[in-house]
Amino acid sequence: MAMRLALKGLGNRVMATIPACCWTIIDGAWPNHALKIPLMHTAFETAAIAASGIRAALDVKGEEDVTVMAWAGDGGTFDIGLQALSGAAERNENIIYVTYDNEAYMNTGIQRSSATPYGAWTTTTPVKHPESRPKKNIMEIMAAHRIPYAATATIAFPDDFVRKFRKAKDIVGMRFFHILSPCPPGWKIPSDMSVKVARMAVETKVFPLYEIEDGERVTINYWPEGRPVRDYLMMQGRFKHLTDEQIEHIQQFVDHQWKRLVHLHELTHGSLPEEAQATLTSR
Amino acid sequence: MKLLENSTYTVLKGNHAVSVGAKLARVEVISAYPITPQTTIVELLSEMVASGELRARFITVESEHSAMAGCIGASLAGARAFTATSAQGLALMHEMLHWAAGARAPIVMANVNRAMAPPWSIWTEQTDSLSQRDTGWMQIYNESNQEALDSVILAYKVAEQVRVPAMIVLDAFILSHTSEPVEVYPQEVVDAYLPPYENPNALNLEHPHAIGSLADPNVYMEFRYKLQKAHEEALRVFKEEGQRFKEYFGRAYDTLEAFYLDDADYVLVTAGSMTSTAKYTVAQLREKGEKVGILKIRLFRPFPFEDVRNALRGRKKVAVIDRNISFGHSGIFYSEIKSALYRDSGAPPVFGYIAGLGGRDVRPNDIVEIYEDLKQREEPAEPILWKGVRV
Amino acid sequence: MSNNGNRWDPKKFKAGEIPDTSVTLTDSLNNKTGSWRSMKPVIEDKYAPCIKACPTNTLIPQYFDQLIRGNLDAAGWILLEHNPIPSVTGRVCPHPCELGCNRGRYDQPISIREIERFVGDHILDKKGIPPKVETGKRVAVVGSGPAGMSAAFYLRRRGHTVVVYEKEEKGGGVLRYGIPEYRLPKKIVDREFQALERMGVQFKYRTTVGKDVTVEQLLQEYDAVFLGHGAMKERHMGIPGEEHFLSGLEFLWEVNHGNLTPPGKKVAVIGGGNVAMDVARALLRLGAEPIVLYRRTEKEMPALKEEVERALEDGIEFRFLTQPVAARKENGKIILTCVKMQLGERDRSGRPRPVPVEGSEHDLEFDAVVAAIGEYVDTSFLPKEALDKDGWLVADRKTGRTPVKGLYAGGDAVLGPATVVEAVGMGRRAAEAIDAYLNGVEDYKPAPLPRTVSFKYIMTEYFPKAPRVEVPELPVEERIKDYFKEEVLGYDLDRAVKEALRCFSCGHCNSCGNCYVFCPDYAIKWVDDKPVVDYDYCKGCGICAQECPRGIITMEFERLF
Repeated sequence: MAMRLALKGLGNRVMATIPACCWTIIDGAWPNHALKIPLMHTAFETAAIAASGIRAALDVKGEEDVTVMAWAGDGGTFDIGLQALSGAAERNENIIYVTYDNEAYMNTGIQRSSATPYGAWTTTTPVKHPESRPKKNIMEIMAAHRIPYAATATIAFPDDFVRKFRKAKDIVGMRFFHILSPCPPGWKIPSDMSVKVARMAVETKVFPLYEIEDGERVTINYWPEGRPVRDYLMMQGRFKHLTDEQIEHIQQFVDHQWKRLVHLHELTHGSLPEEAQATLTSR
Repeated sequence: MKLLENSTYTVLKGNHAVSVGAKLARVEVISAYPITPQTTIVELLSEMVASGELRARFITVESEHSAMAGCIGASLAGARAFTATSAQGLALMHEMLHWAAGARAPIVMANVNRAMAPPWSIWTEQTDSLSQRDTGWMQIYNESNQEALDSVILAYKVAEQVRVPAMIVLDAFILSHTSEPVEVYPQEVVDAYLPPYENPNALNLEHPHAIGSLADPNVYMEFRYKLQKAHEEALRVFKEEGQRFKEYFGRAYDTLEAFYLDDADYVLVTAGSMTSTAKYTVAQLREKGEKVGILKIRLFRPFPFEDVRNALRGRKKVAVIDRNISFGHSGIFYSEIKSALYRDSGAPPVFGYIAGLGGRDVRPNDIVEIYEDLKQREEPAEPILWKGVRV
Repeated sequence: MSNNGNRWDPKKFKAGEIPDTSVTLTDSLNNKTGSWRSMKPVIEDKYAPCIKACPTNTLIPQYFDQLIRGNLDAAGWILLEHNPIPSVTGRVCPHPCELGCNRGRYDQPISIREIERFVGDHILDKKGIPPKVETGKRVAVVGSGPAGMSAAFYLRRRGHTVVVYEKEEKGGGVLRYGIPEYRLPKKIVDREFQALERMGVQFKYRTTVGKDVTVEQLLQEYDAVFLGHGAMKERHMGIPGEEHFLSGLEFLWEVNHGNLTPPGKKVAVIGGGNVAMDVARALLRLGAEPIVLYRRTEKEMPALKEEVERALEDGIEFRFLTQPVAARKENGKIILTCVKMQLGERDRSGRPRPVPVEGSEHDLEFDAVVAAIGEYVDTSFLPKEALDKDGWLVADRKTGRTPVKGLYAGGDAVLGPATVVEAVGMGRRAAEAIDAYLNGVEDYKPAPLPRTVSFKYIMTEYFPKAPRVEVPELPVEERIKDYFKEEVLGYDLDRAVKEALRCFSCGHCNSCGNCYVFCPDYAIKWVDDKPVVDYDYCKGCGICAQECPRGIITMEFERLF
């Protein structure tokens, strides 16, 4: 779904590379290929550099107008692929790197990754001792490389999603997308709820929609009315075991993160839009 | 070829010979990470790219693993890709070496042989490259700087025809940092020999396809079969192109090189720079009337079984001198040579010597001692005969 | 190698040939994932609650959709399918649709009536196309009010010959002679009749059924008869001195005939219904000082809330809990004896019963008194077989059928004093029943209505809150000065579209594309700007049904048999 929106934003002169992830399967087993763009499968930790390699080849051949996109899961980005990603970001490779984050190693059967949020159940963080650390903030890591563009997006906000990809298409240099992508079996949700859950993640400020330009300029794209995180957590089986205290802990964490983000938005723009104030007080 | 009159003769270090070879091959993407003793290869290439002398993109990656992944991306997107590494770096690349071969990306890489740590060592030993023998890469071992330069060009010529990646291997310092006179060919001649890279499998927008997609047990084996067949084809093409090389550049190459071999009763099998020492020694032994010769292994993968059998059939004894070791087994060339001779009616006894690990010098005296030892050795052969180990 | 030196092309591979690496040769469409499904989505338009709430069942979201797309004519024609006089209802309708509107539960209901007025006015002079085929069947329509107009419109559309009998010299009934000019300009009514005339509806004006011709004669002369004569008799209060009062209908009839002199300066208006409001507000505009006397409180007034509000805005004085019990004439003035009331227990209508407060009699002096306490239906001229034992006209609400063969009825004539829109709805339904009858259908039953999409099926996440688009109106100071100035100015195109865009479009697919966007399997195809499920690839995940903002997609079990 996210891939379709991305390609909608990018047009058809796109080449992609995909490391080991769900998409290794989704695109189809040989001889099938579901996407209508050239695609190179690559090793788990190499999405960013494989894309850089393709980019280099296209540049040498004078095909600068072709967009090169790396499309990787959270494991391939937050964990094993972080080194190559950091390298590509630091070199400001002219590629688009997309991580579709389902917050665990889903393809291998739901093991925790560094993208797994606090309190979540996975097969390696069982209910008796669930994930004890917050999710790695990949956006801040990417911003720290001072890349021209980094943005969050989710399928639940398709217009925002497509707009950002269109915008990214015309930026030269490293562009990074963090896409929250619910995984029904991994999150223990019914398949028809995936869009709803993604939307709730935004509405509860667990997953804010924002952009960071040149690593510094922060723009919040959507100001949620602000529902309690409980609404988001309780939709999902992976959080069912959480106690009230744990939920409160998450709420405080989310509120704090949101305040930071709003502050950065204010720093960037000099002021806050009208709807911002309500988001700081309401739950 | 007339144009060759325009060749320049210059003194180059082995690493720079490799760089010049890559430049003459008009590599388009270089994706590399520094490691001693490989660094000067990419330093020179980087300068060439920066000055515009070489029209290529140089990706200064953050690891060897990425160096290879970048080459694969570039190669499958239709660019001639090159990298160079050594030892630890090569080991880190291991996963991607399989990938490059499996994806049939005809990348050429120079590996400067260096001993694996620990203990830390920056000096020559072949265990690093030989550890990668099952990754599906061609491996070409080089004795001189000229050979190293030539091998880059030849490797591309062969690799791109059969779409199998190739590693050209040279010894740390002994070649890499040692200057020798090298003939640098005019670009036009190289261009005439090596056409621009084209890969029919390369990503293209007109027929968007995926490369490297999942293969279930019904089809995976067929792709492995295809890769093996490509290696078999590579052997043929290598021999053919090695001869054609002479038409363009005046030097012929084969899978093996013989030195005083025709009437030799005793044969020393070597690879890499050690061969030069052995040649120097054997020439003197010949003067003394010893019927000894040298068989140099140039092409290790695909392995030239037939050539090895033909070269060794009917000899009295063979000594394989390995600057490498497969722990728990023996010298790697030794075991490969033995396997080539298995059940050959005229197969001679073969003895395996381990020498010069971690860059320890193998001197003419050592060669003489090995030869003397060989002559008095009786079968059955011990799996390992250590030369010069002080324990 | 066989294809060296060329770019990759799947056509170069023979069947069964394998490339050197896993380079794909085809797309994945051969993998028909539809077989994995146990539930399947079904895309089907349903009814919006506004459609259900509207007595005409106008397809509101459907014509809004066309309006938004810029197809004004198409919007108009959809509207006319259920309501032939949207320019009228767009002005005077009490808009039950807006009460039904799902958006009312979210922020504010859509201003459906104002959009209807805009679209109705757009199509007003375009409608009125004669039928392509004449059936030769003849139908008499008694009365040219909203019920009669509606019945005539839909009967004529079906090719029947329609003759309308009207006792007045012009058509429209209550629209022309009841509702004041500032609410419904007569020009609009005129244009409605021009449309009916263009269709070929014939009119016999100044012909009173029951006097000039009997119902029995019509039944003989015509293949069917529709009664839409309304409820035009004023009720009596039954108090002494009542003979000094004017009736509300009489007053409005006079005014609408051009008699613009008010019956006095200080005028009492007795009653709390819409007629009372029309009377009071008309009086004010004609220079009088009306005072409304009503025996209950504002809350219980049967008049439309917005009419009461407008009357209050106009500055009209209301005396609540005031009941006239007698009247007498002294020196040209009318002295009304009134009692104060208090609210008691609820009566059958659900409203609290007003109870007189003892010793609260007081006299009030007026120049004139207009009583508008309700109307009733004249049935004196109808065949006895069509009446029940209390003398009420018997007619089926869904078809207008009476016990007399070929005799149908609708509007106030059946319902008692009701609304224009109910009359329009009944007129249309009766026309459909008559058409069936004329085609020889014995047991005609109208088709049941589709399912309604209730609020819980609306995905409000997709709709940012937004207030209604304001309706331009004359300022109060200006409107109370002129009886002839229409007080509501109505939407222009921009406002109409902007307001229509607020519509959830409950149950009507407006091609928003959500299902298409969110389908993970490309299993929603887009055909003629509408989604179609490709069951070959639909895995039945249910996201489309969850994410349809308007309840059009429902998941059904995949049946094996």
